[in-house]
Amino acid sequence: MKTIREIFAFFAFYGRKTRRTQAFFLISLFPVAIAAVFRFHQAMGGDGSFDGMYLFTNVIMTFFLQFLILVLTLFFGTSVTSEEVEGRTLTYLVTRPVPKSSILLGKYAAYTLIVTVLVWIGLVACFLILNFERLGESQTWLVLLRYLGVLTLGILAYGGFFTFLGTFLKKSIMVGLLFSFGWENVIQYFPGSTQRFAIVHYLKSLLPRVMTSRGRFSFLTFRLEPTSGPVSILTLILITAGFLALAALLFHHKEYIYED
Amino acid sequence: MSAVIATSKLSKWYGNVLGLSDVTISIEPGITGLLGPNGAGKSTFFNLLTGQLKPSIGSLTIFGEPVRNNSRAFRRIGLCPEQDAFYEELSGWEFLTNLLRLQGYGPSEVAAKAEKALGIVELLADKGRVVRSYSHGMRQRLKFAQAIAHDPQVVILDEPLNGLDPLGKRKLIRLIKDFGREGRTVLVSSHVLPEIEALTADIVLLHHGKILAVGGIQNIRDLIDTHPHIIAVRSSAPRALAAHFVGEEYVLNVHFENSRDSVLFETTNRDRFFERLTRYAAEPAAAVEEVTSPDDNLQAVFDYLVGT
Repeated sequence: MKTIREIFAFFAFYGRKTRRTQAFFLISLFPVAIAAVFRFHQAMGGDGSFDGMYLFTNVIMTFFLQFLILVLTLFFGTSVTSEEVEGRTLTYLVTRPVPKSSILLGKYAAYTLIVTVLVWIGLVACFLILNFERLGESQTWLVLLRYLGVLTLGILAYGGFFTFLGTFLKKSIMVGLLFSFGWENVIQYFPGSTQRFAIVHYLKSLLPRVMTSRGRFSFLTFRLEPTSGPVSILTLILITAGFLALAALLFHHKEYIYED
Repeated sequence: MSAVIATSKLSKWYGNVLGLSDVTISIEPGITGLLGPNGAGKSTFFNLLTGQLKPSIGSLTIFGEPVRNNSRAFRRIGLCPEQDAFYEELSGWEFLTNLLRLQGYGPSEVAAKAEKALGIVELLADKGRVVRSYSHGMRQRLKFAQAIAHDPQVVILDEPLNGLDPLGKRKLIRLIKDFGREGRTVLVSSHVLPEIEALTADIVLLHHGKILAVGGIQNIRDLIDTHPHIIAVRSSAPRALAAHFVGEEYVLNVHFENSRDSVLFETTNRDRFFERLTRYAAEPAAAVEEVTSPDDNLQAVFDYLVGT
């Protein structure tokens, strides 16, 4: 555990200094800008009947759930090993008295923390902007907590999968993009049990039904045949643990040869 | 003295490509030079020694222990890799202290060791600058610092003098020699014979993944001297120059180059040839303008030794 902590501390520190993190921080603020524009429009005498919570659950959450966490975990997750190989810095890590599994798990934990912080900042800011009239209601905060929890589970699961993908494949980004915007975005709409082969199915199963049953954007989720909450959480945890275990095993045995 | 590094029939293939073949060697404390042209297998050997690669055949131990997937072994091993790779957004200080933390030291020890290592390589004044802004020489020294900062007993240096200016080379050579004198086992690779000669007399000659020769540098020199050398001499009086050497027993062949002002001598004894050439050059009529040895590089030496 100590070695995982040391690797975690190293990459939590290094990760927040990289240009990639700074670029993704700006991207994660994009929905905040949309929320602010909406509020500004409303303040300037726009459509007063438009509901902030409705916009949040149907547009902002869709952006976070089906785009932002996928992109962030894809780039951070695959880079856990691939950036070390491509940057030829892996040598510095594997020639230290640190087990290889600690390198992988510590770096995964650090990058998961960074992605979570980026996502939470954006989501909380959007939520506060769009729902400030309701901030006195405890129900509002419970909804926010639920959304944050679901996104965090998504970050853990997708991050685990992409960490495995980056360890397994040399060119993992392309496969990851196909998975994210092909497989995940298509399979979730299949009827019956097929949709259970998509990670996003379990995430959506944990969201309040308001997102799946009504509204202009409900076509995105209307075919969801939800899995129960406990089973969804357990499945997401198993996906995370399973892919991380596979990644750690692979990383332990694999030889990485730098290309000239 | 007992061997610190021991390999037995160590071999490595990359698919069908041979990286290293049948290397059996024992390395004792002190400086050992690993000499070979690019592609000889030096980095493959070092990657095997540091557990980054798995042997296809054979075995290796450091202090009697296998290295691959044995993370404890790296408390006593320091590696300066060949590649110019860093976590570019970190400062020199952050780079070094973060790596030292991975060695298991507490904060005060980390700071003391980083301070000492950066002092040794004369980077203390620049420790706060990001690595991206370092010159090539500074980057080489930082790589060296991270290899020695944790006081390893075995220091493996892969082409540490690459790209350094003469002054930088001299400083680093002095540091490496200091390490060797402290009783550590220092393994240093290079493809430049004079660099290795400046560091140590004990060398391992590697070519096409195989050990060609092991031992004192004089043995290697002797091996080289059994083969003819080519020396080019440029003179405004090439015919007189050629006539001066024709008939000498150690001169096998004399050729005129296309430019007609250069003469190529093939000799079996460089020392005697140069002795006579020096005397000749001192004569007013000699008009010797330039002396070069087209085959005085490591690749040519290897070509001689392997008979190609």
